[in-house]
Amino acid sequence: MKCTECGHEAESGSFRYLYNARIDASVSLRQCPSCQEWLAVDELKSEVRQKVRPGEAPWGKSAGIEGLAEDV
Amino acid sequence: MAEPATLEDKKEKKIKAHEEKQEWWWIAEKRRSRRLDYLRKAVWKKGALGGNYAPGIKLDLEGPTLFTDMWKRNHTDPIMLRRAKALAHLLDNIPIFITDKAQLVGYMGSLPHTLAWRVDGASIVNEEAYNEPGIHEEPEAESLKTVAELNAYWAGQTAIDKVARILDPEDAVKFLSGAIGWGAPTSAYGYSAKNYEYFMTGERAFEDIIDEIDANIEKAEEKTIGTPGPDILPLYDRIHNWEAMKIVLEAGIRYANRYARLARIVAESFESDPKRKEELLRLAETCERVPAKTPRNLQESLQYDFFVQIISRHEAHEGAWPSRPDYYHGPYYDKDVNIEKNITREEALDLIGEFMIRTYEVGGFGPRWAREGLQGITGTWVWTIGGVKPDGSDACNDMTIALMHAARLVRVANPTLSFRWHPKVSDEVMREIFECNRQGLGYPNLRNDPILVANAMHWHGHPIEEARLWMNQACLSPCPPTKHGQQPMRMASATANCAKIVEYALHNGYDHVVSMQMGPKTGDARKFTDFEQLFEAWVKQMEWIFNTLVRTVNLGRFKDPEFFGRPFLSAISERSVESGLDIVSPVGDRGNSWITAFTFVENIDSLAAVKKLVFDDRKYTMDQLITALEANWEGYEEMRLDFVKGAPKWGNDEDYVDDIMLRCLRECARHSKVIKDPSGNNWPILPENVSGNIHYANIVNALPNGRRLGDALYDGGISPGPGLDKKGPTAVLKSCAKIDHVTHGRAFLLNQRLSPTQLAGEKGYQLWKAYVKTWADLGIDHIQFNVVSDETLYAAQRDPEKYSEVIVRVAGYSAHFVDISRKTQDNIIQRTVQGLG
Repeated sequence: MKCTECGHEAESGSFRYLYNARIDASVSLRQCPSCQEWLAVDELKSEVRQKVRPGEAPWGKSAGIEGLAEDV
Repeated sequence: MAEPATLEDKKEKKIKAHEEKQEWWWIAEKRRSRRLDYLRKAVWKKGALGGNYAPGIKLDLEGPTLFTDMWKRNHTDPIMLRRAKALAHLLDNIPIFITDKAQLVGYMGSLPHTLAWRVDGASIVNEEAYNEPGIHEEPEAESLKTVAELNAYWAGQTAIDKVARILDPEDAVKFLSGAIGWGAPTSAYGYSAKNYEYFMTGERAFEDIIDEIDANIEKAEEKTIGTPGPDILPLYDRIHNWEAMKIVLEAGIRYANRYARLARIVAESFESDPKRKEELLRLAETCERVPAKTPRNLQESLQYDFFVQIISRHEAHEGAWPSRPDYYHGPYYDKDVNIEKNITREEALDLIGEFMIRTYEVGGFGPRWAREGLQGITGTWVWTIGGVKPDGSDACNDMTIALMHAARLVRVANPTLSFRWHPKVSDEVMREIFECNRQGLGYPNLRNDPILVANAMHWHGHPIEEARLWMNQACLSPCPPTKHGQQPMRMASATANCAKIVEYALHNGYDHVVSMQMGPKTGDARKFTDFEQLFEAWVKQMEWIFNTLVRTVNLGRFKDPEFFGRPFLSAISERSVESGLDIVSPVGDRGNSWITAFTFVENIDSLAAVKKLVFDDRKYTMDQLITALEANWEGYEEMRLDFVKGAPKWGNDEDYVDDIMLRCLRECARHSKVIKDPSGNNWPILPENVSGNIHYANIVNALPNGRRLGDALYDGGISPGPGLDKKGPTAVLKSCAKIDHVTHGRAFLLNQRLSPTQLAGEKGYQLWKAYVKTWADLGIDHIQFNVVSDETLYAAQRDPEKYSEVIVRVAGYSAHFVDISRKTQDNIIQRTVQGLG
């Protein structure tokens, strides 16, 4: 896996796992061991999607917000 | 030609614009009085930001130094007397201050920006205080020298040091691992319910109690010089205890008089503004009156209550603030505002708003686990309002409404309000509750009074009139503030990190995070051939965790009068004033214990996932599952997603998983009646989390619900996992309603997130009210709401300074969004936004 910020390349497991705020998504936050940036990682593809800044949630909005979770 | 717009018009126009954008914090700033605005902004926030104190917050050294000086001088005294003299010395000498524009006084530290420090509580906390960066006053080296000297004196003789010496060594090591529970088994820390029915009903104040104590001492002394016999032997100790109670009550009166003197000096010698001079003189009169004598008006009533709270917090680090302000202050509000018209409603709001601000200001130094578990606040100051009177009639009054109005004006995260809903609550009051929630306070939460009264009678045998007086002892647990119903000290160490139950059942009792055999060996889960074997292991691990934690609390509670002693709390408790026993003694206590069950629902979703995917569908083997869990799901992402999405999840009205919840709760309830507290009463469980779901994120290993080590746990209680309740709000309620909220446990926290857009206007109120009616009809005991949009929360992450007053409901408490960690923020954002209607 390659860091989009500094180009560091290594096994995805060597990027420190931080957390996955949305348990049913395969996007998690990891930290680059070289530049320390927080990265959004697609766990299925082992690919860095983007750097994560405050106020950004690359795993998507809250469940239900796009169309409120209504009774089914 | 149109009239030019007045300043008032312009203000209203701005408010309207903020209303449209639902920027309630800016509206509060414009609506509140100048006094409240000043006081709100002048507060030094003590709640930790994530886990760290805000810049400028410093450790108070005056209080601990004064306390320790007098403690050293009286080393031959019995512990209650020794503590009473040390506390009195502190109250007589700690620097005091009056905040500009304030009408209420009292603080735990020597200056507004200082954190009180319970120096005799725990050496391990004292060491943390020494090592905490940024909290030591300049010159730092000098401050650290004082801290080191105090620590050297108290090392080995704090309350926790004494308990630790007699705990079973294996229990002590496992408890101190931090994996299964938190808290401290001593009344130096914890949640003190107070006997409001004794000291707060207007019948007596400190001088009256001193008279009662004097009479008891006289009677006892007559006996000790009378006919010898076994009955007089306990009296020697009790006389000392009564003397200790009297010492602190007298010191409390002197403490108030110091404020009176200061207010009078400032008024008469320095104040040039005649209006402020009048206020200061009134403040002086107030402090000359209370707590010595009973209050005569609202200001005196609030000040009396506040002095009690502050003195109590000088005696111990109280982590909660059980209170029912509308019930006890309401009659004074009514007298002042409605009957005698001594003050206007706006003036009353100023007093009530300040009462909340003064409370928000209170804070003591806490260890890191407490700061992480209670991010943004310094304790769970949950005030109970509404409910019924002992005869079952509606207890709501004008003060109930005024408190909610004041809450919207001052927007503090602590205290929060908890409303006891019952079928007789008026529409006017319901609208106030709605308005607070719609404006994003996250409180009042709603408690189902008929259910909880029945619950209090079921678990602890409170008579109905007593049960009807209940207030939250901490976040959620009802406790009557009566002679026998009052639990004087709930030690937080009966707080179980319940996700460990299923974790240990899967790993033969071994904890791979702390690398220790923790629970019993319940078998190699790789070899389990059916779900019943796993469930049996789960039950054994559950019993082990609960037993271990309860043993420590029972021991701490039993030994506390010998190891710590609470002279002031005893002095305001009828039971102690009558008996001469330390109030923490279990004698005469009906018992009101509960096990706080953190991270509970992970068990249910994990068990359901294993049952479905391993034993029913046979898609995976136990061997494959344990291997994936040991790898923290690393390299098993597809399988992990299967365990998240391919198995039913709690909160969707699916019997498959809901039945597992009921089975687990029934086992817990059964065991709750096996384990007993020092009064011989039961230990029901109470699922909730505060922000323990974040604190434990790096302590709970990977689980079959698809969670990895490091991920936040669910937000707690019986709330479904964030984003996993996919079938709408009624399905959530239906799942929760399958639980018997009377007999399965003490209380069950339920978080719900609603759309601010949907709650706009009258239609929004009607939707919400109908939803609340469904909740009540289904017999669920608790519900709380977050009504803040994702957009606002993302904006607050980007630009925290502009959104400093945005409040969110975390668990049993609220916090300013900018004060909680990024992981907690993200966890709240991910909660499902439910559509009503």
